[in-house]
Amino acid sequence: MTLLDFASGPGLQWALWIFMFGVVWRLVGALFLLSRKDLTKPREHNSVAAGLGAVISRSAPAHAFEKRILFQHVTGYVWHFALFISVLFFAPHILFFESVLGFSWPHLPNTIILVTAIVATAVLIALLIRRATHPVQRFISNADDYISIFVVLIPLVTGILAFTHFGGRYETLLGIHVLSVDVMLIWFPFGKLMHAIMTMPARYQAGTAFGRRGVKA
Amino acid sequence: MNTEAMSLQDFRALLQKLSAGAPGQDMTDEERVRRAKKGFMQKLNGHRAVDLDSCLQCGMCAEACHFYEATQNEKYAPVYKFRPLRRFYRREMSPLRWFYRPFTRDITVADLKEWQHLIYDACTGCGRCDMICPMGIKISASIRVMRHGLAAAGYVPDEMRVIRNEQRDQNKLFGVGVEQLKALVDKLGAQGVNIPLDREQADVLLFTTAVEVLLFPDTFAATARILNKAGADWTIRSDAFEAANVGIITGDDPTMKLAIRRIVDKAKACSVKTVLIPESGHAYQTIRWEGATEMGGPLPFETLSMPEFIAGEIQAGRLNLNAQSNGASVTYHDPCRLSRKGGVMQQPRDVLAALGLDVRETPANRRENYCCGGGCGEYVLENAADLRQKAFEIKRREFEDTGADAVVTSCANCRINLMIGAENSDWQTPVTSLVETVAASLAD
Amino acid sequence: MRKDQSLGEYLRAQGVSRRGFLKFCSATASMMALPPSALAQVAEALENARRPSVIWLSFQECTGCTESLTRSHAPTVESLIFDAISLDYHHTLQAAAGHGAEEARMAAMEENAGEYLLVVDGSIPVDNPAYSTIAGISNLDMLKETAANAFAIVAVGTCAAFGGLPHADPNPTGAVSVSDIITDKPIINVSGCPPIPVVITGVLAHFLTFGSIPELDALGRPVAFFGQNIHDRCYRRPFYERGQYAETFDDEGARKGWCLYKLGCKGPTTYNACATLKWNAGTSFPIQSGHGCIGCSEPDFWDKGGFYNPISAGNWGSRDALLGAAAAGAALGVGSALAARARKKKAQAAEGA
Repeated sequence: MTLLDFASGPGLQWALWIFMFGVVWRLVGALFLLSRKDLTKPREHNSVAAGLGAVISRSAPAHAFEKRILFQHVTGYVWHFALFISVLFFAPHILFFESVLGFSWPHLPNTIILVTAIVATAVLIALLIRRATHPVQRFISNADDYISIFVVLIPLVTGILAFTHFGGRYETLLGIHVLSVDVMLIWFPFGKLMHAIMTMPARYQAGTAFGRRGVKA
Repeated sequence: MNTEAMSLQDFRALLQKLSAGAPGQDMTDEERVRRAKKGFMQKLNGHRAVDLDSCLQCGMCAEACHFYEATQNEKYAPVYKFRPLRRFYRREMSPLRWFYRPFTRDITVADLKEWQHLIYDACTGCGRCDMICPMGIKISASIRVMRHGLAAAGYVPDEMRVIRNEQRDQNKLFGVGVEQLKALVDKLGAQGVNIPLDREQADVLLFTTAVEVLLFPDTFAATARILNKAGADWTIRSDAFEAANVGIITGDDPTMKLAIRRIVDKAKACSVKTVLIPESGHAYQTIRWEGATEMGGPLPFETLSMPEFIAGEIQAGRLNLNAQSNGASVTYHDPCRLSRKGGVMQQPRDVLAALGLDVRETPANRRENYCCGGGCGEYVLENAADLRQKAFEIKRREFEDTGADAVVTSCANCRINLMIGAENSDWQTPVTSLVETVAASLAD
Repeated sequence: MRKDQSLGEYLRAQGVSRRGFLKFCSATASMMALPPSALAQVAEALENARRPSVIWLSFQECTGCTESLTRSHAPTVESLIFDAISLDYHHTLQAAAGHGAEEARMAAMEENAGEYLLVVDGSIPVDNPAYSTIAGISNLDMLKETAANAFAIVAVGTCAAFGGLPHADPNPTGAVSVSDIITDKPIINVSGCPPIPVVITGVLAHFLTFGSIPELDALGRPVAFFGQNIHDRCYRRPFYERGQYAETFDDEGARKGWCLYKLGCKGPTTYNACATLKWNAGTSFPIQSGHGCIGCSEPDFWDKGGFYNPISAGNWGSRDALLGAAAAGAALGVGSALAARARKKKAQAAEGA
C-alpha cells in the first residue's frame, strides 16, 4: 500500500470516524449538561432572532473596541476567508466533500485558489508569530493553541506543494498532504479547532441571554 | 435638601477599618480545594460548558478589560481569570474528560490563593469582556463561578467577608439596620418629606441601600419626593428595606438567596404590584434578572429600576418636570449591571433629555461603557485601591472627552467609586445621581 | 528463424534495409534516453547480437499482454525484434502442445542455463497452488524451477509485476507477483494492463544492446518508460491547471476535451509512457479518447476506489459508517453529560444549594 493509498484509504477512514465520533460526542456532551431555566420575565420574546443575530453580529466587533483589536479583527477575517475559499472551492476538494455529503457546488479557478492558499498560509504564520510574541497571547497560550495552528498550517503548506508539484514525486506530496489532513481531522474534536463547531451555539446562547434583557449581544 | 450625610472621608475611614473585624477561618488546604471544586461543580452547566469549550485563547477579552488596559498586566486578561475553572471543567465535567485528565493540572490551594486577587480585586464582573468575545463567551459568568468556588473555599476577601456576615447574620449592612432607617425617615419627615413607612399593603414597595442611608440620604429623600409627586401608592418596610445583596457580590449563594427571599417575601406579603429598586446596579440585577429563577417561579410583581420608573411616570403624564434651558451639559455613566447587564439604557437618557439637558455620550457608552472601576461593593477592598484608581483614569478621560459639566449616574456604588477616584486625583467635575437631578426639577 | 543467425543477419533476411535498421536503432536509443552519440554503439550491438533464448511462462493471466504485443495491424520493426528472439516456449504462440511443449521448455533451460531470459505474465496463486497448473505443475513450482537458471526475469503486465486483477480485493486465489516469490534474480517489471508494446521491445533492445538490466525505479520498472507520470505529459494538463473539467462523458467539457479528473482519471498518480508514446503506433491513448486513465501500470489499481472515483474523493468507506460514528458519539455525549449531571446533583444536594 502506498503512502497515498493509506492516507486516503484507511487513514482517511479512521480520521473521518474519529472526527465524527469526537465532534458529536463533545458537542452533545456539552449541550446536554443543560442549564437551569431562566424564569425571569424577558424584555424580548423572540429569543431565536436574538440568538441568530448574535451568531452573525459577533463577527463584527462593537464600535468602542474596534481600534484596540483591529489587527486581530482584520487578520481573522482574511485568514478565515482565504482558508474557506481554498478548502471549499478547489475542485478536487469539492469532489471529496461530495463523497462525504452527497452533494457538490461550483468551483473557482485554480489560480484564485493558489493565491488564497498562499495568503492563508502567510496570515497563519503571522498569527502564529503574534501568538508567540504578544504579551497577552504569549502568556495565556498553551500546547493546544500551538498544536492547533500547526495541524492546519501543515495541510496548507503541503497542499500548496502538492498543487505546484514542488519538492518531490507527486503521489508522495499528495500522500503527505492527505495524511496531514487525516491528522488534523483526528485532532479536531480534542483541541481548539472545535471552535468551528462551537461558534454557533456559543454565540447563539450569548444572543438569547442578552436579548432577553433587551441588550444586543 | 441638606440632610445629614456621612462624609465621603468618614465613609472611607469606615471601610479601612472593616478588615480588622474579619473573623478567622479554619480550614485545611485539602478542605479548601475540596470545597472549591464542589462550588465549581455546583455552578457548571450546559451554558458554561459551551463557553469553556469555545475559548480561542485570542486574548481580545483583555482589550475590553479596564484593569488590563490600565496596567497592561496580562494576568488581568479576563480569560486568565477563570483558568482554574477551565482546568476543573476539563478534568471533571467536559465530555472528553477522560482524554484531558492526564494532561491537565489539578486545582491546588496555591491556585485558589493566587486567584483571589484576580477574581475580587481585579475583576468587577462588569461584563465588558462578554461584549468583545468573538465567540460570544459570557466570560463574566465563568468568573462568577470562580467566585462561587473561592467563596466556598473561604477565600472571600476579609472586608467582604465582614459585610457578608453582617448581612447574613444581623440583617444589617455597614451598621445600617432598622433603627437607622427609622431615624432617617423621622428626620426627613420633620423636613417635610412624607415617607409612608411600614404600610401593610401598597402598589409600590420601595427599597433603599445602606450606602444611600449613610452617604446619600438626599437621594433617598429625592426618591420619596418623586414618588409622592407622581401620586404613587407606595411604602417602604423597616423590616425589609435593604436592596443590596452581598451574597451575589462575594459569590456566596446561600447569602444571596437569603437576601433575595427577604425582598420577595415582603413584596408578596404586601401584595405589591411593583418592587422599586433604588439606584444600585447589582440590586436591580439580582431581583429583576435572577430573582424569579432563584425563587423557583415567576414573581407576582414587576421589578423596576429608578430610571425605568421615572421614565414610565413621565410618559404616563404623572410626573411633570421643569425643563432646564440653561444649556447645561451632562454625560451619563452607564452602570454596568443596569445597562449592559440590565437593559436599562435608553430610559435614563430620555429622562435627562426631558429635563432639557444636553446629554453627551462618552466614546464608549451604553453596552460598551467602561466600568466605573469599582464594581458593586468592591470599593471595600483595600488591596485593590491602586487598581481602581488606575481604572478611574480611564473614566476620567472618557468624561473629559465629552466636555460635559457634570457626570450623572444611577447607581450609588458607581457614584462612590467615581467620587473616591475624583477625590484622589483632585478632579473637580461633579458626580450626581439621576434621581436627585430629576427631583431638583419637579414641576408643580 | 535460425538460432545461429545474428539479429542483423535476421533483419536483412526479412528485407529491412540498412537505413531502416539505423532508423530503428536511433528510435531505440532515444527511447532509452541515450545521447545521439550512443547510436553507433547501439547499431553495432544490435547488428551482432545473438538471438537470446526466451522462455515465456503464462500464469493467471488473460493473454492480453501477448495480444498487445502481437496484434499489430502491420508488422513493425519492434515486432520483428520480438520475432527475432528465440522464443522457445509460449503457450499462445508455440506450435507444440502437451508433453512436447514441456520437453522443449526443459531442453531450452538446459541448453541455455544461466543465459536465457524468463518472461512471465499473469499472477501466481499461493493460497492453493492447484488453482492454476500447467501440465500438472503448479505455477508456483514452475516459476521457481524455471527461474533457477534464468539470467533475468521480465514480469510483463501488472499481474506478473504486482499481482494485477487476480490480486484485487478479496484476492480469492492468494495471487502474488513474481517478485513476491523470486528474490534472488534481477526482475524487470514491465507493468501495464496491458503494457505498451514498444515498452517491452525497448527492454529487450536494451538487453540486446548492453546485455544488462536497464535502470529501474523503486517498483522495478524501467525508468525510461515509467519515470514520468501521465499527468506531467498529458496534453490536457492546461485544463487541469485552470480548473476546467468534464463533469460527465458527454457534456460540453467532454466535447471540448477538458481535463478528466472529475471522471476518475488517475493520471496524476500513474507512471507510464502512454501520454508520450501512446498506443497503436502513436495513435491515441485513453485520455485522448475521452476516458480517464485507470492507472493500470500501478500496483493495486483495481482497489483505489474505482475507475470513476476521483483521486481526491479518497477511498474511505461508506457514509453509513460515518453516521454510525456520529450516533456513537451522540450516545457517549449524552452518557458523559448524564454522569456529570449526577455528580453535580450530588454536589448541590450536599449543601441544599
